[in-house]
Amino acid sequence: MLLHKISSSQVWGQIALEASQVYIDDGGVARSPFANTNIEKLPDKVLLNIFSYLSHRQICQIARVCKRWRLIAYDTRLWKCVSLRPEVSGLHVGSLESLLALISIRFGPSLTYIELPIELITHTVLHELANKCPNLTHMLLDFSTAMQLHDFNEMQAFPTKLKYLCICLSEVIFMEGFMRKIYNFINGLEILHLIGTYEKVEEEEEEIYEVINVHKLKSATPNLRVINLYGINFVDDSHIDAFSSNCIQLECLAVNYCSKVTGSTLKTLFQRSKRLKCLLMNQTSLVSDYVMQVEWEKSSVQELDITATDLSTECLVDMLTRIPGLKFLSAGQINGFNDSVLKAFVEMGNPRTLIALDLDSSDNLTDEALHKFLSRYGHQLLGLSLSGMPHITDQLWQSILPVLNNVKIVIMGTHERLGVNIHVDQLIDCIANSCPNLERIELRWDPENLRFSDKSQKAIDVLRVKCLKLHCLILSDGRYYEIVKANFERADRLTVVRTTTCCRCSNYYLLTNYKDLIFN
Amino acid sequence: MPKIRLQSCDNDIFEVDYDVAKCSTTIKTMVDDLGLDDNDDEIVPLPNVNSAILRKVIQWATQHKDDPPPPEDEDNREKRTDDISSWDSDFLKVDQGTLFELILAANYLDIKGLLDVTCKTVANMIKGKTPEEIRKTFNIKNDFTTEEEEQIRRENEWCEDK
Repeated sequence: MLLHKISSSQVWGQIALEASQVYIDDGGVARSPFANTNIEKLPDKVLLNIFSYLSHRQICQIARVCKRWRLIAYDTRLWKCVSLRPEVSGLHVGSLESLLALISIRFGPSLTYIELPIELITHTVLHELANKCPNLTHMLLDFSTAMQLHDFNEMQAFPTKLKYLCICLSEVIFMEGFMRKIYNFINGLEILHLIGTYEKVEEEEEEIYEVINVHKLKSATPNLRVINLYGINFVDDSHIDAFSSNCIQLECLAVNYCSKVTGSTLKTLFQRSKRLKCLLMNQTSLVSDYVMQVEWEKSSVQELDITATDLSTECLVDMLTRIPGLKFLSAGQINGFNDSVLKAFVEMGNPRTLIALDLDSSDNLTDEALHKFLSRYGHQLLGLSLSGMPHITDQLWQSILPVLNNVKIVIMGTHERLGVNIHVDQLIDCIANSCPNLERIELRWDPENLRFSDKSQKAIDVLRVKCLKLHCLILSDGRYYEIVKANFERADRLTVVRTTTCCRCSNYYLLTNYKDLIFN
Repeated sequence: MPKIRLQSCDNDIFEVDYDVAKCSTTIKTMVDDLGLDDNDDEIVPLPNVNSAILRKVIQWATQHKDDPPPPEDEDNREKRTDDISSWDSDFLKVDQGTLFELILAANYLDIKGLLDVTCKTVANMIKGKTPEEIRKTFNIKNDFTTEEEEQIRRENEWCEDK
């Protein structure tokens, strides 16, 4: 209606102005019937929704477009989760003054999550966060690059509603000066991450400092449900004992890459923490005798990671036949995991609840034993990893894939060069036709071992069309990777195909507390 | 299958399966409140949506009627925009005016899936552009004075690249 009232000269002016609003057809230029509808007609709420898909750096850019955009860009709702660690794709804030201004003007009561690097962790910043951001529940403090701790003697306040706290430790900075100031504020904490500086190559001579006092910390945090101690060189069994003595709610304990842990306090842990469902002990120094002392039959443990430990065959049999309802098992890289363990698990244990199995690099398992086990229990699995085993080839996979109807995560293949080739087209075809719920798949075989033919496009098409939930397909960089990537890109599925160098897949996505366990 | 009749602002009437129409929370609430059923001659009036756009919305809703309900917005640190399906990205190869009309319709009709995918599309048009390029792309007038521009540059210089 409005249009009719506009005089014709105005209409022509309008058209000239909106030259960018025409679209080009095959047949030439046509004017859109909606050329008058421009972005300024969208309500603030919708612009806010659009801006919520942009990075904070980009939001700072769009604030300079016009007055209205500036107002919306400063809306605190766009600043709920903020990372200020530039090296992990966060924003770089140059000075404390700018940060203090940001906290009060831009973050305010909307802020729920913040990541701070060492330079910005000062008592003034923490006071400001405590005063201006009453809804801050998640905080990550990165001390890992610290040479020296700021002075916290004057610190009087700290956010009081924290549920999640992640502290990245430095190897040499003692945290107590900071920690004793915050103990009074963190008793609502439910999720605690302490991240060490684990590195693959360890220098033996270096001295180990206990940079954080776990015994004091546990007294301040009685409500922890999830504890993740990751790659900390001083953490040992006494620290597990300390937490278990005070945290009655504990559901999930992860001590991956804490190489001093032997398991000597596991028995008491399970006696005290009746709710403990998830125990992750990848790359620890577990001693079989200690592990066998645990009263597994009384435990409610459902999720277990004992990858790369030295547990004996006897211990593995003992555990797997006594745990009443295991759902998640990661037990790769263990020499003791052989056919007899799998057999005992089936005959005397309870594999019927199992949904995720990772047996990476289990060289002492035969393909016959695996085939037998998987034919029987494959249908219930949501995640299966049989990587790092040269003797597990496409033949075994072809025979078990048809029963893996529910699987969401599959990891197969080894980097080692094989004497035989993998017929990848048939394999992909078989996956596509067997696993409609597939979300993530990784094929680790060396590209030289992947044999494909001119039918490969067809197989990839089938995979793409049948596995609609697939959002991560990882391959070793090479010719076949290029072919698959190009195929998915032609269908506008740009981020699905990745290489093993930039992306790794694991069953961990299936853990109940996966979301709580994410850090960094 | 029960059908519903929708009336656009330019008085065209569209007969749609209830399963398709209920993608729109607005229509679903209206129908549930009014208790319309098969035998009713009643028509749901949509005074804010014209025929051309309503036709496209119905096309989208028909394609997506069996989708699981979109997840509630979580506090993700950065939401993805690269997960637009190929059907949707073909569907949204339209001029800006039509795209914004679709957004307005999705907003009015409360169709979260369509609103999200169209907003993502606009976000992708913004990504990587300078303020001047953004103004050009969307025909936005720079209403800042030189002083204001300088001030706002200062307000945001803390987050510029090192």
